[in-house]
Amino acid sequence: MITPFRPPRLRSVNRTVLLGLTGAGLFLASLDAYVVVTALLPMLKSVNIAVNRPEQATPIITGFLLGYLAIMPMAGGLSDRFGRLRLFAVCLVLFAFGSLLTATAPSLAQLVTGRVLQGAGGGALVPAVLALAADLYPAGDRSPVLGAVSALQEIGSVLGPLWGGLITASSFGWTWIFWINIPAAALLLWALWPEVRAGGEERRPANLDWLGALLATAGLSLLTLALYAATPEQSPVGDGFIWQLPAAIVCFGLFVWHERRTPHPLINVRRFRDSSFTGSALTNAIAGAGLMVALVYIPVLANAVFSMNASSAALLLFRLMLGIPVGALLGGFLAQRLRSYRFVAALGLLLAAVGFLMLSGWNEGSLTPHLLGSPLTVADGELLLTGFGLGLEIAPVSAALLDAVGETERGAGASFLIVMRLVGMLVGFSLVAGFSLWEFHRATAHLIPPLPGLNPNFATQYAIYVLKVKQAIFDEYHLIFRATAVALFIGALLAALTLRPLPRPRWR
Amino acid sequence: MHAGASPSRGLAAGVAIVISLNACGAPPPDAASLLKQSSQRMLGLNGFHFQMQISGFTGPDEPVQSAQGDAHPPALHARVNLKEGGILLEVEVIFAAGNIYLKSFTGGWQQLTPDQVAQFFDARTLFDPQLGLFAAMRDTSAAARGNAEKVNGHDTYPIAGQVSGARMHQLLALIRDQGSYRATYWVETQGSNLWRARLTGNLFDAAKPATITFDFSNHDHPVSTTPPPLG
Repeated sequence: MITPFRPPRLRSVNRTVLLGLTGAGLFLASLDAYVVVTALLPMLKSVNIAVNRPEQATPIITGFLLGYLAIMPMAGGLSDRFGRLRLFAVCLVLFAFGSLLTATAPSLAQLVTGRVLQGAGGGALVPAVLALAADLYPAGDRSPVLGAVSALQEIGSVLGPLWGGLITASSFGWTWIFWINIPAAALLLWALWPEVRAGGEERRPANLDWLGALLATAGLSLLTLALYAATPEQSPVGDGFIWQLPAAIVCFGLFVWHERRTPHPLINVRRFRDSSFTGSALTNAIAGAGLMVALVYIPVLANAVFSMNASSAALLLFRLMLGIPVGALLGGFLAQRLRSYRFVAALGLLLAAVGFLMLSGWNEGSLTPHLLGSPLTVADGELLLTGFGLGLEIAPVSAALLDAVGETERGAGASFLIVMRLVGMLVGFSLVAGFSLWEFHRATAHLIPPLPGLNPNFATQYAIYVLKVKQAIFDEYHLIFRATAVALFIGALLAALTLRPLPRPRWR
Repeated sequence: MHAGASPSRGLAAGVAIVISLNACGAPPPDAASLLKQSSQRMLGLNGFHFQMQISGFTGPDEPVQSAQGDAHPPALHARVNLKEGGILLEVEVIFAAGNIYLKSFTGGWQQLTPDQVAQFFDARTLFDPQLGLFAAMRDTSAAARGNAEKVNGHDTYPIAGQVSGARMHQLLALIRDQGSYRATYWVETQGSNLWRARLTGNLFDAAKPATITFDFSNHDHPVSTTPPPLG
C-alpha cells in the first residue's frame, strides 16, 4: 500500500516540473501497453514466424501483462522503502532495457523476454508516479493531480495502438516503436538525475508482502501457461493444462490462506464477502477482457480480411478507443447524477455487449455503408458504441469497489482495480486466443488448398479456396465477438445485482 | 670458466620435450580428412535434427525462407516457412516410403508429385548421400581449418572452402549452378559430428548475396517417418 509523506526537499523543487517529467515517463510506458496490437504480424515475421502460426504471438501480449501484474502489487511498498524517484529511475531503466531486447530480438524468446521486462518496468511506474503526486500535493489539492496522472496513463494506452500502427506502416518499421523509448527514457533520466542522486526523499520502512506477491504471480503464470494453446490444431488449451491448472489453483489457494494471516496483506481477502466488492472486481475483470478482445482482434481482422496496413488497422481500432474516454467521463457524471452505480455500470456493459454483437455480424462489405447519410459509416458507429459502453462502466465500477474498501484501504483498492482489469485481460485473451484458433482449425480441417499441376483450372479453384478461408476467418471472429458479448452481458447482470448505491456525501 | 652441458641437463631437456609433445597431443587431421570423416559420420547416423535458415536475397522463385525438422535420409519430416506475397506461411512436409506429403495453411495431408514439390522446396536432395550437403562436404576444394570454436557448447573446427555452383545446385535446385560458392563447416573435434554448415555467395541472383545456414543437433537419435493419413 502506498503511504503518502512529505519529503521536505522535494517540496522545495518545482513540483510541476518533477511531476511533468515523471508523468512523461508514465505516458511513454502506457503508450507501449497495447502498442503491439497493430504491429503483431511484422513482429512475427521478423522472428521468422509464419502468419498461419498466430498462436505464437500470444506470449508477446500475455508476457507484457504478466510482467505488469507481477510488479504492480509490490511497487507501492517498494516506492515507500526506496523512494519514489529511485524506484521510478530503476523501473524506467528496466523498461528501456526491455525495449532494447524487443527491438533487437532475433527470436521469439527474446521478444517475449523484452515485453515481460517492459511490462515489469512500466507497471511499477503507475504506483510510483501516483505516490509521488500524493507526496508533492497536500490532501486537499491532490485529487485533480491524481486524476491528471491517471488520465495521462489512460490517454497513453488509448493512443498506443495508433502510435504503433503509424510507426509500423512508416518506412521506419515496427522496431522503432521500441528504439524510440531508449533515448526518450535516457533524456528523462538525465533531467531527473540531480533529484534522484540527491536522494532527498524520505524513506520509511514498508511492509512488503513478498510471499503474497510471489504466490499470486506464480498462480497467474501457471494459469497463463495452462491456457496458452501452443498447438491449437490439437487443443484449445495448453499441453500441460492437466497439471498447470490445478497447480495454479493451489497457488491461489495458498495466496488467500496467506493473505488472511499476514498482518500486511496485498489485499484484504475478507472483502470478498461483500457482494458489492466482489461484483465490482469481477465486472471490472470482464470489462478488461472485453477491451483486450477488441484491442487485439479488430486490428488483426482489419489486417487479415480487410487487407488493411498497420496504420489503417490502427485507425479502425481508434474509433473504438475514442469512445472509451467519452464514455468514461459521462459514466462518472451519470453515476453521480442518477446516484446509481449499478444502473450506469450495467448500461455501459450492456451497450458494449450490443456493440460486440453488431461487430459479430461483420462481413467483407461491412466497412462501407454510411450511417444515415453522415460521413460516418455504420461500422464507425458500432465501434464507437462498443468503446463508449466499455468507457461508461469504468467510473461506477471503480467507485463501487473503492466505496466498498473504505478510507483506510483506498490505495490498495485502487491497485486492486488495475490488477483485476489486467487479470481479466490476461485470462480473457488467453481463453479467446486458444479457443478461437482451435475452432478455426476444426472448421478448416478438410479445406485442402488446390495445388498447381493437379488442377487444370487451378486459378479458379484457388480463388474459391481463398474465399472459403476468408469465410472461415470471419466465422472465427463472429464467434469471438459473440462470446465476448455473452461475457459482457453476464458482467452487466453482475453489476445490476451486486453494486451498492452511492453513499450519501459526507462533508468534513 | 665455461662449463659444458652436463649429461643430466641434456636428459632433462629431452624429457621435457617428450612431455610437452605428449601434452600437445597428436595434431588434428587436415581439413580435407576432417570433412570426409564428418561426411561419413553424418551419413551413418540414425537421424538428426536440423534447422535451415536463408538470409539475404531471395526472389519470388525462391519462396523457402527456413525449415526445421528431423531427418534420416531419405526420410524427413519438416516445417517449412515460405514467403508468399510478402507474408510468411508455414507448411509441413513429410518424405516417407518414397512419397511426398504436404500439410498446408488449412486442411489435412495431401500427396505431392516431385514436380509440385520442386516448385517451392525439394528437401529430399538436401541430405541425399550422393547429391546433398554431406556429399558436397567431400567435394569441397581449397579446404582450410581454422582455430577451434564453440558451437552450441561443442568444440568444433571451422573448415572453410569452395563448392562449385553445379554441386550446390544439386543439393538445392533453387541455387544457381554457376561459379562457385564459399562453404564453411563446423566439425566437432571429437567424434566428427557436423554442428553447423554455412553456404555463402550470390546463391539466387547473379548480383545479390545470400547465405544458407544449417544447424544440426540430436545427432544419432533415431528418426523414421510413415505416410500420414490423407485428407
